[in-house]
Amino acid sequence: MLVYDIEHLTKTYPGQAQPVNCEISLQIQAGEIFGMLGDNGAGKSTLVKQMANLVQSSSGKILLFDQLVGKDPLLVPRHVGYMPQDSLALNNLTLGEALYFTAHLRGLSRAAARQERDRLLETWQIQDLRHKTSRQLSGGQKRLLQLAVAMAGSPPVLILDEPTNDLDPVRRRQVWEILRRENHELGTTIIFITHDALEAEKIIQRVGILHAGKLVALGKPVDLKSGIDQMLRLELFFSPEEPPLLPDGLTPHVLDTGRWLVYIERLRAGEVLNSIDLDRVEDFRLYSATLEDLYLYYAHN
Amino acid sequence: MRTIKPQPWSSQLFDLTLMQLTNWRWSWRSMLITGTLAPLASLMALGTFSRHLGIETLSYILAGNLVMALMFENQGKVCSNFAFMQAMGMLNYFATLPLRRHLLILATVLSFLMLSLPSLAITLLLGSLFLQVPLHLHPLLLVVIPLAALPMAGIGALIGLSARSAEEAGSISLLVTFAAVAIGPVVIPPTRLPVWMNQLGNLSPATYAASALRQTLLGPVTERIILDFCVLIAFTALTFWLVGRKMEWRVG
Repeated sequence: MLVYDIEHLTKTYPGQAQPVNCEISLQIQAGEIFGMLGDNGAGKSTLVKQMANLVQSSSGKILLFDQLVGKDPLLVPRHVGYMPQDSLALNNLTLGEALYFTAHLRGLSRAAARQERDRLLETWQIQDLRHKTSRQLSGGQKRLLQLAVAMAGSPPVLILDEPTNDLDPVRRRQVWEILRRENHELGTTIIFITHDALEAEKIIQRVGILHAGKLVALGKPVDLKSGIDQMLRLELFFSPEEPPLLPDGLTPHVLDTGRWLVYIERLRAGEVLNSIDLDRVEDFRLYSATLEDLYLYYAHN
Repeated sequence: MRTIKPQPWSSQLFDLTLMQLTNWRWSWRSMLITGTLAPLASLMALGTFSRHLGIETLSYILAGNLVMALMFENQGKVCSNFAFMQAMGMLNYFATLPLRRHLLILATVLSFLMLSLPSLAITLLLGSLFLQVPLHLHPLLLVVIPLAALPMAGIGALIGLSARSAEEAGSISLLVTFAAVAIGPVVIPPTRLPVWMNQLGNLSPATYAASALRQTLLGPVTERIILDFCVLIAFTALTFWLVGRKMEWRVG
């Protein structure tokens, strides 16, 4: 089943000459985990706001479950939980109150809303913050509150604008794990924007890459990767005083002091690894093109 | 396919009012100062100088200061709250919930009205004691209090939504307050005002709110109250309609 069907979508803000996004067409299927990557100012946030009916499109159309977004003001709220990029201040509500009221306003009974509040507090491990108002929370804690609020009442679609911003690595991993579980257990369609491409790769099923307001790539990461190159990445970590010797024909790209990235052909991988003096290497990592490589390729070519 | 079923409007209004009542966490201090102490100080200052002018002048001072406590306190707080919600993305949060936006406006106004009632009662009791103006409370007072607060609260919401920043909203709101108090027979009896000011006062909801409050607090209730009710209802309907139009969920 098609959740979103977007055709030739363009948005130009009043007073601006250039469109923020231009002629975007894409479809998102039910139960899909769809990631959006792109530079700052590429038009990602505007696009998801258009999808959440918070920004009116200049041209083109968005269908949500076959109905035109914008026609019925309750269409999006009846199906979508939206998490904005900015740190939302929920007035003077405590975290527990915000979850309870959101769940209740999303149609749960009062008893079920209380259960939902407790479930979300436990899921996100934020029970100790329950009586704090959003003003008293740190940036990362506010992000968790926003995620929990977006999920309250289990809407069938989640749109999350940079869900892992401000979070430490442990919490970031927790976010991806919870989203994967939400998708797997409830079949929730998840659409999100992220700059955390390496971590997000673990759950993304399909990706759209925006550059300068245009959708420059769309598809499964594996398909898009095969389109860019077949090179493997060999990352080498070593003591700066004693760099390893590389076989002829390989050029290292310096990533940092004592850290190189070397591109090698798949067929030569074994030969290259055998020829490197591992006594001079403290650690190494061999991998194929990542989602980040994909993003860098499309955003800069 | 899962869908979210919106709550009935009465549940939405109840929830939204409870949510907005949590504003007591920041507003109680200023409610105490601007909602109680400022009208009381004004009332005492004016009362001290006007005691010899008779009961009519004193009744205007009492009712006028109650109007200040009720109308402008609500207008200022509603204005600040809408400016804050707009600036902090809170309106986007409400826009993504299955609810009617007019209920959010109504809930905000109702919650700030409820929050202002204690300061109103204190101002009324202490004011009547200080000015020695006898109270003759009429049951219609229960209708007059919300009716007096609603039009200015609607204006406050309109200012909060239209201003470019919370600071700008605060300044405009203060300006409107001074203008509404200054024009028309709100604190000063009409006999002591020039004709043009009385005529100008006919355009201000504060004039009708003060008139209705005087009648239901001090008596007697006359036919004039019908005009006061009609004008206050019309002002309320107009400001709420304008706020509903202004509070478009979507950015253009």
